Amino acid sequence: MVGLILNFVSACRASGLRVSTAEFLDCLAQLDLVDISDEVQFKTVLSSNFAKSRRDRCRFEQLYRLFFHELSQIPASSSPESMGGLIAELVEVLREGADGDVTYRAIIEFLSGNPLTFLAELKRIRTEEHPATQGGRFNLGPLASRLQVLVNLNRLRNMVAHFINANESRLGFDTGQNLALYFNASLDTAYTLLMNEPRPPGDDTREVTTYRQHYRRLGELPFSMLSQREVEEMREVIVELVRKLKDMATRRWASHSRSVLDVKKTLRRAQRYQGIPVEIVFRHHPPRKAKIIALCDVSSSVWSAARFMLNILYSLQECFTKVHSFIFVSGLAEVTAIFEAHEINLAIEKVLREAAIEYYAPTDYGETLRHFKRDFMDIPDKKTTLIIMGDARTNYFNPEDAILEELRERCRRVIWLNPEPETEWNTGDSEMLTYKPHCHEVRQCRNLNQLIDFIEDLIL
Amino acid sequence: MKFTGVDDVLIKLESAHYIPSREIATVVFLADATSKPILVEGPAGVGKTELAKAVARSLGRELIRLQCYEGLDEAKALYEWEYAKQLLYTQMVKDKINDVIAGAETLAGAVDRIAAQEDAFFSERFIQPRPLLKAISSDKPPVLLIDEVDKSDPEFEAFLLELLSDFQVTIPELGTRKAVNIPFVVLTSNNYRDMSDALKRRCIHLYIDYPERELELRIVMLKNPGIHGRLAGQVVDMIRAIRNLDLKKKPCISEAIDWARSLISLRIEGITPEVVLQTLPMICKYRADSEKVKKSLDTLFSRV
Repeated sequence: MVGLILNFVSACRASGLRVSTAEFLDCLAQLDLVDISDEVQFKTVLSSNFAKSRRDRCRFEQLYRLFFHELSQIPASSSPESMGGLIAELVEVLREGADGDVTYRAIIEFLSGNPLTFLAELKRIRTEEHPATQGGRFNLGPLASRLQVLVNLNRLRNMVAHFINANESRLGFDTGQNLALYFNASLDTAYTLLMNEPRPPGDDTREVTTYRQHYRRLGELPFSMLSQREVEEMREVIVELVRKLKDMATRRWASHSRSVLDVKKTLRRAQRYQGIPVEIVFRHHPPRKAKIIALCDVSSSVWSAARFMLNILYSLQECFTKVHSFIFVSGLAEVTAIFEAHEINLAIEKVLREAAIEYYAPTDYGETLRHFKRDFMDIPDKKTTLIIMGDARTNYFNPEDAILEELRERCRRVIWLNPEPETEWNTGDSEMLTYKPHCHEVRQCRNLNQLIDFIEDLIL
Repeated sequence: MKFTGVDDVLIKLESAHYIPSREIATVVFLADATSKPILVEGPAGVGKTELAKAVARSLGRELIRLQCYEGLDEAKALYEWEYAKQLLYTQMVKDKINDVIAGAETLAGAVDRIAAQEDAFFSERFIQPRPLLKAISSDKPPVLLIDEVDKSDPEFEAFLLELLSDFQVTIPELGTRKAVNIPFVVLTSNNYRDMSDALKRRCIHLYIDYPERELELRIVMLKNPGIHGRLAGQVVDMIRAIRNLDLKKKPCISEAIDWARSLISLRIEGITPEVVLQTLPMICKYRADSEKVKKSLDTLFSRV
């Protein structure tokens, strides 16, 4: 039993679940307490110890199915002993065909009942970054690695068929068929593992699509369709709005309840009453302030929405410890300094002129995330809220969503604001569905009312 | 009292008016047997908090609840010194203090004498226990519910670690307090943010999803004794259909129960579109959601 569970733990680790020794020991102790012949109980013990969040569950389910249901299912019709020998023989034959190809060897290991290398290989393919090569950029990196596995799977399938044909007289028809069945089933399993990557379920991501009507006309106009006059009008409204929000934030501050005794102040006040502490003074605990990182797409359509968000965020700076802002198209540039040096409206005008990015390049989210990971990974911490404002239209470049997952692990919250109407998400080159499971919250943000709702949620 | 096995949990929780799935029962049994906390995740309203209450009822234990929020600190979760009382006492025993230092020849001597009396002011008498301290110093093992732990700050989460692994807390003036009886701990999370690995490692994880149709039907029947089976079936089917719509807040089990209860008191025997419209506030908590349900009434009824 210990060996079996240990193998399963190794498989979990190979495909990226973090299982500690303590959890493994807990699991063993708990297995003694339940009736392991009842599968619900057995599975519950494993899942409650090894998959400690909803997000880990889907990967766990896949591994569990593989490990306890699909691996090494020898066809029932033949006697297991003779099959065992034949399987080993065939695996040896297949192994001789290996030629330094890592994936090929991983699949052979998988066929002989040891899925670890194959799972690790799949994890590599899943999380590998594909930096843009000189000249052309394309989305084929992950596809190419998958193709490599597919080619090898097909090659093995042919080799198995060949072996069985060649040895038909020795094996007999039935045994040959069973052997083919066994190997093809295993290869099918490997194929499914490759093609049906379990993504984290999107269902724990909060999706906000409805909003309150704060302003009737101006609030409903999509940012992208504002005329110059309406932009001016919008600015005035924002000034008023910011004042209101600040009021609300300070009220919350003031009402925040007392904590420990302020000895110094209490003693000082006691002087007035001959040393009798009539008034007791408590220290106030300011509510925790958040750190904000804003990543804004500035390609034409999105910029019109992003500018208003930056405007509000910077107007409300007192509510946050620090606001870091970045803009991107196909590369990333930090613009925090511009906002610190200039008045907000001026800064917004300057951002587009002065930041070192190519405005007319096609938007590349993958490159942006890679760039962030390379240069700015030290900024996010457990108090940071990462706000990404963009339409998630990747122009069919590699979305690199594994990096967003990495960011999620470092941040307190990840929020994606999409200025497109929800009906257009996931159409064409929009990768919203790919990014969504990695976010805590996704929101539509195409007019002022939606933006106000979001900001209220953020600071209150 | 402890649970003796998974089946025992099933029976006892059911008698406490909570119908668990086998998975929930297994986790509850393990948590009880190994004295480990349970971390419960799941959508709002599937009975995460109710689980803790049901465990308390079925074991006949006291339920101590700590509701987490941003800014929650040790003073509100663990203990607080009663400063006012301490100051009042110092005033009242002022003369006594003079007696204590009366014979002292030097200042240092007087300070030493007062220091010897320090314990009188930092003692049990002046401590005001908050839920966590109450839970570990209770004579009988209680059920401790730490609700919505994801809303608390990372600092508080780190502070919980000592409590959850060793069932002890450290009060600087008094020293380390070990639990008299190890409480049955349930933490709930709504996935507002991810919990740290360290916290997860100390807990048994349980994910509660919306229940299967049969289970939900049983729950509605159990909570509304006297409801007609046909009406209960309709309520559950309708709620499940509405749940599939893209709503801001999906109706959960508690909404199903409340809706059924209101239908009973309105003496309604079958669900029609008019009935749904009339009682919509019981199901939808946002105006936008109500609008959406109104719009898709026809499709909802064709599906049910």
